[in-house]
Amino acid sequence: MAKAVTLKELSKKELLFAPGHRLCAGCGAPIVVKMVLLASDYHLVAANATGCLEVSSCISDYTAWKIPWIHNAFENAAATLSGVETMYRSLKKQGKIDKEIKFIAFGGDGGTYDIGFQSLSGAMERGHDMLYICYDNGAYMNTGIQRSSATPFGADTTTRPAGSVVPGKTEQRKNLTKIMAAHNIPYVAQASPSHWADLVRKVRKALEITGPKFMNIVTPCNRGWRSRTDDAITLSRLAVDTCYWPLYEIENGVTKITFRPREKKPIADFLKTQGRFKHLFKPENEVLIGKIQESIDREWEKLQKEEACFAS
Amino acid sequence: MKKKILMRGNEAIAEAAIQAGCRFYAGYPITPQNEIPEYLSWRMPEVEGTFIQAESELAAINMVYGASAAGSRAMTSSSSPGISLKQETISFLAAAELPAVIVNMQRGGPGLGNISGSQADYFQAVKGGGHGDYKTLVYAPYSVQELWDLTLRSFDKADEYRNPVLILGDGIIGQMMEPFYPNPYRKPDLPEKDWALDGCKGRAPRVIKSLYMGDGELEMRNIVLQTKYAEMKKREVMADRYYLDDAEIVVVAFGIAARIALSSVLRLRREGLKVGLFRPVTLFPFPAQELFAIAGEHIRFLTIEMNAGQMVEDVRLSVNGKSQVLFHGRPGGSLLTPEEVEEKIRQVCCSHPHPVRAALNRWDA
Repeated sequence: MAKAVTLKELSKKELLFAPGHRLCAGCGAPIVVKMVLLASDYHLVAANATGCLEVSSCISDYTAWKIPWIHNAFENAAATLSGVETMYRSLKKQGKIDKEIKFIAFGGDGGTYDIGFQSLSGAMERGHDMLYICYDNGAYMNTGIQRSSATPFGADTTTRPAGSVVPGKTEQRKNLTKIMAAHNIPYVAQASPSHWADLVRKVRKALEITGPKFMNIVTPCNRGWRSRTDDAITLSRLAVDTCYWPLYEIENGVTKITFRPREKKPIADFLKTQGRFKHLFKPENEVLIGKIQESIDREWEKLQKEEACFAS
Repeated sequence: MKKKILMRGNEAIAEAAIQAGCRFYAGYPITPQNEIPEYLSWRMPEVEGTFIQAESELAAINMVYGASAAGSRAMTSSSSPGISLKQETISFLAAAELPAVIVNMQRGGPGLGNISGSQADYFQAVKGGGHGDYKTLVYAPYSVQELWDLTLRSFDKADEYRNPVLILGDGIIGQMMEPFYPNPYRKPDLPEKDWALDGCKGRAPRVIKSLYMGDGELEMRNIVLQTKYAEMKKREVMADRYYLDDAEIVVVAFGIAARIALSSVLRLRREGLKVGLFRPVTLFPFPAQELFAIAGEHIRFLTIEMNAGQMVEDVRLSVNGKSQVLFHGRPGGSLLTPEEVEEKIRQVCCSHPHPVRAALNRWDA
């Protein structure tokens, strides 16, 4: 078990994701990446799926990454890192490398929930020693805010636009965290940059575990969420406090809620801060907010029951 | 009187598809073609068609396979890396003789490349791309007008030949806005889709497949396909010619490169240089005979492409040694400029047509 780290200690560590990257002002992704990299005490190698993070952190000859980093294409961060990690194990066995290295893959929701899902599922099932981190901003933000299977119900996107007939996305989002847990891998967790201590602890814990690990991190995107540029942390906190994004972990099949909001806020508090849900507040659509609330309540209930199953 | 409208290339394709009766579109986000799915995401439902954003390019093209087998006019679009992912099913579409329209708004490659316009997928488009002996009909529009007109045509040709048709555009032409005439779609007389899997109640079941394991069976299938491609070569070749009557230098270019080269040719014509432009509109079938007819000892060809030299190989094959064929290209999504092309044409003008004779001349001097 990795020992806990204080904010003071973290503040003294070198940032491994340098400023000067071209992510938008107010983007949640670099905050998440910085926290993840800061959390580690190991030498790291990262893989990146195509997406905002990848394209904005490696413009031309420049890189924001102060660690070895590999990008291949959109659908295969987990597969690419599988190759890297396997080669590392082989070199280690041959005695050609003695460093302790940990492997982290970063993918957005498009590259993780959708096109990259097959390669992620394969890598997890094969048991590669890696931590896969999905920074979930709920749409294809890099190509212009198209819907993904992580886009929440009711959200307005460019390929599922809200109008007089269709109120934005009419499908539920995929519960990828649970799907990854169903791979029966040793560690799966959900985290949020608003709860940095929880996020850092989860990354540190994951890196201590040998085998495949998956973390899903809510990552606000002001361009796609149509929110203010200084709201990334507020919004990710609201996501947690409304139980839209509960913080929990599933370690060796045992579910544990790691943060319980003192007072569970209504989902409308989260929705009304974002332009992508604006149309839901029209009188004729308000029934949909009720529907969203119902589904959140149900999921939250389910999660608590799951946790209770294992409570001794 | 017909009125011109102003539209972005990608949106013109999307609307033309609707006009041509396309009622099924499946796509996946990739720059620089996102306007096509975005436009169709709201436009398709208006005409009671189906728009699906798939979870990957693979899923999108396979949805097109399914919709086409069911008899619908179906389309997908993507850009270079996404088109690479679709190749398996393009081969399957060709093998199963299923009509489909596939749009490639090319970007710089190889690999992830960049997102600016490029013409580096020429080989992939015209030589097959996927596995097996097959061809797709390939159109190379050079204006938004042509994007419109050729999209209308593509759906008819796909149905006529029961074959996938590829529209080979690029990032520039897809993003470019220009006025054009939205010519109305007139459906030609096409045979009933008596092969479509639309429910066999009251008729014999139909089979669409690409697996032929019997002895010699697959060879026969291939011969049928090749006969069809030969027919396309006879009937479907399209090319545009500019100032070729007395031209001594013939610039050959397609798509956006032709648009750029045309400016250069016009400028040099004003100076009195005997230069013309030959623009293949279909890349498969390639206007080989047309080029051969122009070729001769006193004519030189200069192929201009936004790649490292792909179509130039077909120009050389067409000319078959009758003329010298030179090349100038910009790979990697770099934009050709009219000045650059002009300069290149001037250089060709000033250089001696015969390298051997040129060498002798130097010797004499």
